[in-house]
Amino acid sequence: MSGSTVNALFMQVLTGFQLGAIYMLIGLGLTLIFGTLGVVNFAHGALFMLGAYAAVTLAPQTGFALAILLVPLLLFAFGIVMERGLIRKFYDRPHTDQIMLTFGLALVIQEALKWIYGANSLPFPLPDWGNGIVRLHEYLPFLTGFVAYPKWRLILTVVSFATVIALFLLLQFTRFGLVVRAGMRDPEMLRFLGVNIQRRFAIVFGLGAAIAGVAGLFGGPVASVYPGLGMAYLVPSFLVVVIGGMGSLPGAVVAAILLGMALSFSAEYSAMQQVSVYLIAVVVLLLRPRGLLGQKGVLE
Amino acid sequence: MNDDNGAASGNWLPVAVVAAIALTMPFWFPLIGGYEGLDTKIMIWALFVIGFDLLLGYTGYLSFGHAGFFGVSAYTTGLMLLHVTSDIVPAMIVSVIVTVLLAFAIGFMTLRRTGIYFSILTLAFAEMLYRAALSIFSDFTGGDNGLTGLPTPTLLGEPMHGLKVFYLSAAFAIVGFYIARRITRSPFGMMMRAIKSNQERLRYTGVNVSGYKLFTFVISATYAAVAGSLMVIYEPYVATVFLHWSTSGEVVIMSVIGGVGTLFGPMFGAAFMLYFENVASAAIGEQWLLILGLIFVLVVVFLPGGFVEGWRRLRHARGGTARAADTDTENERAN
Repeated sequence: MSGSTVNALFMQVLTGFQLGAIYMLIGLGLTLIFGTLGVVNFAHGALFMLGAYAAVTLAPQTGFALAILLVPLLLFAFGIVMERGLIRKFYDRPHTDQIMLTFGLALVIQEALKWIYGANSLPFPLPDWGNGIVRLHEYLPFLTGFVAYPKWRLILTVVSFATVIALFLLLQFTRFGLVVRAGMRDPEMLRFLGVNIQRRFAIVFGLGAAIAGVAGLFGGPVASVYPGLGMAYLVPSFLVVVIGGMGSLPGAVVAAILLGMALSFSAEYSAMQQVSVYLIAVVVLLLRPRGLLGQKGVLE
Repeated sequence: MNDDNGAASGNWLPVAVVAAIALTMPFWFPLIGGYEGLDTKIMIWALFVIGFDLLLGYTGYLSFGHAGFFGVSAYTTGLMLLHVTSDIVPAMIVSVIVTVLLAFAIGFMTLRRTGIYFSILTLAFAEMLYRAALSIFSDFTGGDNGLTGLPTPTLLGEPMHGLKVFYLSAAFAIVGFYIARRITRSPFGMMMRAIKSNQERLRYTGVNVSGYKLFTFVISATYAAVAGSLMVIYEPYVATVFLHWSTSGEVVIMSVIGGVGTLFGPMFGAAFMLYFENVASAAIGEQWLLILGLIFVLVVVFLPGGFVEGWRRLRHARGGTARAADTDTENERAN
């Protein structure tokens, strides 16, 4: 392979990871909530959007560094309130009612944001340390010539994957994670064992919301912050969850990377890019309806 | 059997009531502040939600992709009017055929799994059609601008506008309502309700559940197709929003607010929402959508049966139990 081919390929793969990053974070939250609570959260895109709006509002006041701390906390609290206040009442109702409720909430959040901030997209100024480009060829010897990448997009990618790793560590190595994983496997048995899964599930919902907040915070400057943002990202995130397998966390990660790569490599054929993602979903659905890493029996 | 006969003989009264309300609408609707043409829109959306209710209210499947059928039919009608003939008969027939084929394909892929899966996937397919219309098919669909410059639709040489389109739409809505009632009271309707209550058990009794589901889905899409086609005849222009998820969302909201599984409820919901949009947006502007969203959430939380349920509760509270129970047998049968 010539040097320029390596460069081009590297850039496309990197872009693939970057494009998949936001969908990965939203998809993880969706699948985490679905796996534990059994609820498909149509408001998850709205939570992501809320994170972006919160960041746009807070960052100029508190500085970006503090916003990084505050926005996920804010979304965590918002998620807990949402679960305790409304969603909890719907666990015994049909799935269609749960979907309608979360869809209604998504609509209310969207319209409330439109009312407060207007329908146009807001400028999202980057912090000084996030501006500019990174000269990748200085760090990676296999790249030839001059290869640069926008710094913020690199930060977004790194933060996203760090969040994923943190989530896996939390679920794999803490007592809380053990209970959540057990709850995803067999909530009934867990209840028999006397574990208060209700309270932990509220935390899981908050966690999903907080991850959406991280996505909004770091993804906001890349996407444009306008009231249609939530739904625009929700649908591809659903595809991530469906392709990866509902309720499978590793599946969501794999599917999001796959989706990012599809977006990146089809970018040359710009008309196809919009549709490529859906075509992958159709193929996966026909060949393997439970998703790539979906467990047997889940939603089959 | 007696029950069925009773239902069949009582079949005409609700249809007659709906027909009377619908056909006199051009006379009384302007008196309560509806603009000319809003009544036509109400008829078209009423037809759309009847079909949607057959799927959601009777079979229990919540589609978030009905904009796909509405929109594809609208685009097909638009393209037919633009390139083939301005006569609406071939345009409507071709639109319905195209949409039915699409519904078979989408239904085949989305109905194989549970209801949750179905809601997500129908949303995704409709979004795919929306994206496709704006990107790879933009040469045909006019991209972001929608399909403009359509000729005035004609029916046997008569130009179709104003009251003529209203009566055409009203006729479709009334006939659609009648057919939907017949379907829900037929053995097929029984199967639809059985699928909603427990499709596992139905499958064990040897019923071809997937076949019934697919057929219901296609019937539902056909209603959306006729409505989509009428929408373009009403206003010779195809907006991209016809394919957008918000159109699917509107049908969901109309049905739920009105009361799913009652056929009449969703029609009322459609009328309410369009009227509310007209009146409320004049008073409070864009925020009417926020109010609507709040109403929707409140209905979902506190009044899952929608306005019809509210009306029934009101009558029960007043002591009119016997009559309420009598006229609402249909709802109980649905539940």
